Parts: sequence; structure tokens; C-alpha cells
Amino acid sequence: MSEEVALMTQGLTKSYGKVRALRGVDLEVQRGEIFGFLGPNGAGKTTTIRCLLDLIRPDGGTISVLGVNPQADPVAVRTRTGYLPGELQLEPNMTVEGALRYFIDLRGNKVDWGFVRQLVQRLDLDFTRPIKNLSHGNKQKIGIVQALMHRPELLLLDEPTLGLDPLMQQEVYRLLREAQADGATVFFSSHIISEVEALAERVAILRQGVIVEEAEPSQLVSMAIRRVWVRFKEVIDPAPLDRVEGITLLSKSNGASAHLQVEGEIDGLIKALAAFPVSDFEIERPSLEEIFLAYYEASDEEAS
Amino acid sequence: MLAEFKHTLRRMRGQMIGWGIGLALYGLLMVSLYDSIVGIEGFQELIASYPQELMAFFGDADFLAITTPKGYIGLYYFNYMTVIIGIFAVGACASLLVGDEEKGLLDLVMAHPVSRTALFWGRLLGFAVATVLILLVGWLSWLIPSGSSSMDLPWIELLRPFLPLFAELLLFGTLALLLSMVLPSVRIAGMITGGLLVANYLLIGLSNINEDLKSLIEFTPLHYYQGGDAITELNWGWLAGLLAVSAAFALLAWWRFQRRDIRVGGEGGWRLPSLSFHRRAGSEA
Repeated sequence: MSEEVALMTQGLTKSYGKVRALRGVDLEVQRGEIFGFLGPNGAGKTTTIRCLLDLIRPDGGTISVLGVNPQADPVAVRTRTGYLPGELQLEPNMTVEGALRYFIDLRGNKVDWGFVRQLVQRLDLDFTRPIKNLSHGNKQKIGIVQALMHRPELLLLDEPTLGLDPLMQQEVYRLLREAQADGATVFFSSHIISEVEALAERVAILRQGVIVEEAEPSQLVSMAIRRVWVRFKEVIDPAPLDRVEGITLLSKSNGASAHLQVEGEIDGLIKALAAFPVSDFEIERPSLEEIFLAYYEASDEEAS
Repeated sequence: MLAEFKHTLRRMRGQMIGWGIGLALYGLLMVSLYDSIVGIEGFQELIASYPQELMAFFGDADFLAITTPKGYIGLYYFNYMTVIIGIFAVGACASLLVGDEEKGLLDLVMAHPVSRTALFWGRLLGFAVATVLILLVGWLSWLIPSGSSSMDLPWIELLRPFLPLFAELLLFGTLALLLSMVLPSVRIAGMITGGLLVANYLLIGLSNINEDLKSLIEFTPLHYYQGGDAITELNWGWLAGLLAVSAAFALLAWWRFQRRDIRVGGEGGWRLPSLSFHRRAGSEA
């Protein structure tokens, strides 16, 4: 395996009884890359991440994390990795400082406490507060601090901004970009399309335990179905728009506005609208669910 | 391993303080009552009037021995401390690892550079040391005040019965730990181990009344528990046997933990069949 590859899985399979969680996941993430891992609930994202850390053992396939097989040497992998679980749980009776000092102790005290203080300050955490009194978002911040504090080579983050307010989300994005600038690879799962677009250089979509697509985030968005509101300066007949390839007229309001659905590139619509007196134009960004649906429908059609 | 050992002790400090205070108060009370109880006029006659079966159940056919320091401490302390402190041992050990797994805490801990072996033995050692500290308080609570009473047992004689007590606690603790690795939940592992402990205690008592049970109890751990008898002479063979069985349980539990998928939110777990008559979701489809 090339030294440029941070993590790789080939034919990764995992079943829980009769439930096949992973059906052959093939992934390759380059060093220094920010890679988004998308998929609906139950698609196998968390199972994949937990296999990478040897928290669970796959039934088949191979894994390499930073050139190491996690089943052969899990401690070596975890030493160089920072992990944020999707369902973060912390001991309620500890304080923020107590919990972080415990995690540092688990890392053999090889963590720069000054850097920890800096992270805590940037995420607006209070060292002295008991965890049981913290909101979900503040607990999430502890998870982020412990994942970043030892400046790992690889960050495995399951829904990193879950429960954070928009300002803190932006701070976390900055921290992850800084980690990347220092040479770290970031592998994260998310449900938030804006987060994926803001952070990821490449994404993979997982569906029912199989990667169905790997692309750049902008490609995903452009391939998905979007809805467009167009308001016209005067009453027009928008029927010609319906005849443009990839455009469906969903509704029209007295000829003064139209609600359209666009599949694929937006270029065709822009060119078609050039013939009309447009006063306003609004694109509804597709939700991740819509992107998933687009992929699922496409792969279902392929299957049938 | 050291980090987990320290962490386990830190987490058990509340239990250690609680159990320590309880045992200390009980020890102080019983020592202070010793002189007045054995000095009660007609006490021996009172004891003699008890049904022999009742005294035999508590393991002392020579019921008048209760008026001696060895008989008194044996009956009022070591006889049932396996069950009393056993509650702590079983509860603490059943949840030592799987308890954190059920709460979703183990996931993050194991994502740190700590091997499963270090995690397992660090926590088990933490439990063992916590148990020793609790027993140490129990020992001191008899030793310190006994000098001012007619009980006056030498420290080494008083210490001896605590060794088989520790071995029994370790045995039932490691059994609970092993069962937590193979059964679907901490609660079930704790209930089964606790049930076995109480059943064993009752069986030993009943075997003192019913001779037919004698052959059966030879296969139970509490048969090899000396209790107050260890004050005069410790049975090293029995002690070593109890520790060996504990070690075997611990090794089996460790072996299971090595191969275990760490669960989150019940993922990959198995359940006992439901007794409810509710139709399963989706069964109509």
C-alpha cells in the first residue's frame, strides 16, 4: 500500500446475526485529505469507523489504517488516531478537566496540556463544570477536544458537529482545517450537507453496507434534484420551460412565478430562463436525504 | 494498565467510603456489645434454649462457642459477610467492563491507546484493591476497639479469616465478570451470580441440618470458606483453591473480552425471548 494512503478498506463485511451491516466496503482515503462519509441511519457508517479502530471485528475483508492492520496492532493505530464517537457518552460524575486528564492518562500523558487549554478556550468550555450539568453540545466539545488534543495523524469523527450551535460549528471546521494544514487526515461522517460542502474534499455515500458513490461534494449536489422558484416581471406562460430536458414544472402561480424541479446541471435552466423577464430566482438546496434518494432511485433502477 | 487501575479506584471511592463506614460502624458496635452480651446473666442458658437446628444453620453446632471471641466474631461477622460484602463484589465486577459498554462509555475509552488486556487487568486489579481496602477497614474496626474489651484478639489471628473472605469475594466477583461477558446484560449476570451466592449460603446452612446435602455442598465455593475458624488456623489449601478458581474465572473472562465486539446502544447484543404477546413491528407485512 502506498504511504500516501491514510486508510484503506477492501471488501469489508460485518454481520450482526442475520443483519448484514457491511456488504463489502471499499474505501481509500489519501493522507492529508478531508473525506466525508455519508449515508442514512443504519447504512453502516459507524460500523465501518468502529472496525477501523478494532472496536468491532469484521467478518471479512482487509483494513489498513496509517499502514497498520488495526486487528494486528490496535494500540499502534489508536496512538496515532483521534476518535469522536457518534453517540458520545462521558462519565457524568467527572468534571471537564477530570475527564480530559483521564483521557490524557490513557495516552500515557503524552499530550501538551497547553494545547488542551487552547482547545478548551476556543470551544468555550469550562474546565470546572461537572459533565452531568453540561448540555449535549458542551459534551460534544469535550469529545472534539479529546480527539484533537494529541495532534493525531488521522481523525475519525462520527457526526462531529452534532448538537453544536452554528458559531461553534464554524470553530470546529476551523480546527479541522488547521489539523489538516498540520498534516492530519480527517475522515468524518455527517448528515449535514452544508458541513460536507464546507469541509470535505471528497465524499463517499454508503448505502446498505456498500459504497454507492465517491465524488467531490459539489458533484453530488449538482447531480441531485433541486427545486427552483422563479418570479417573473410580467405574467408569462412558463410551459416552454417544462419542455427543457431535466426540468419539470411543478406549479405556476398566475403566470407570475413558477416552481420547477431540475435534475442534473443547472446550466440548461439558466439558458432557458434567458428568454424570460426574470425578477427573482431562488434555488432550494437539496437536503442530504434528497441526494440519498436520488442515488437510491438511480441504483434501484440499475438493479431492476 | 496503570491508568485504568487508578481510574477504577477513583470510580469506586464512593463505594469504598460507603462500605467502609458501614463495616466500621458495625465492627465498633459488635465489639462494644461483646462484653455486655457475654456478661449477661443467663446468656448461656438463653443460647442453649435456642433450637439446635437454628444454631447449626449458622455453622456452629457448638453454640456455646458464641461466648468466646472466635465464636462471637465467627457468628456475628464472618458467617454472613460473604453474602453482605458479596453484594458489592458481584455488583462491581458484573459492571466492571460491560456496565461501561452498556452505558456507551467503553467505546471512547477503547479508542485510546490501551490494549484490551491492559484495560481488563487494570480494572480487575482496581476492584481487587478496592475490596482489600474495604476489608482493611473491617479488620481495623474490630482490631482497634478490641484492645479495650475482653475480646483482645492478636492482630494476626484477627487478620486470618479476612483472607478466605477476600478469596470468596474474588471468586464470586470474577464469576460475575465472566457471566457479564457471556450473558446479554450486566443485570442478568449480577442477578444470577448473586442468586448463586445466596443459594450457596443457604445450602451450606441447610447441610448443617440435613446430612444428605453434605455431598452436594462439596462442589460449592462456600464449603471451602473457613469463616471464623480461620482465627485459630488457616487452611492454605482451601485458600489457594479458591484463588485458583478465581484466577480461572478471570482468565476465561479475559479470553472472552479479547474476542468481544464492543457494543453501542445494544448493537449486536442478544436478548432473552420476549414473553409479551405484542406483535413485532412489521410482522403484519
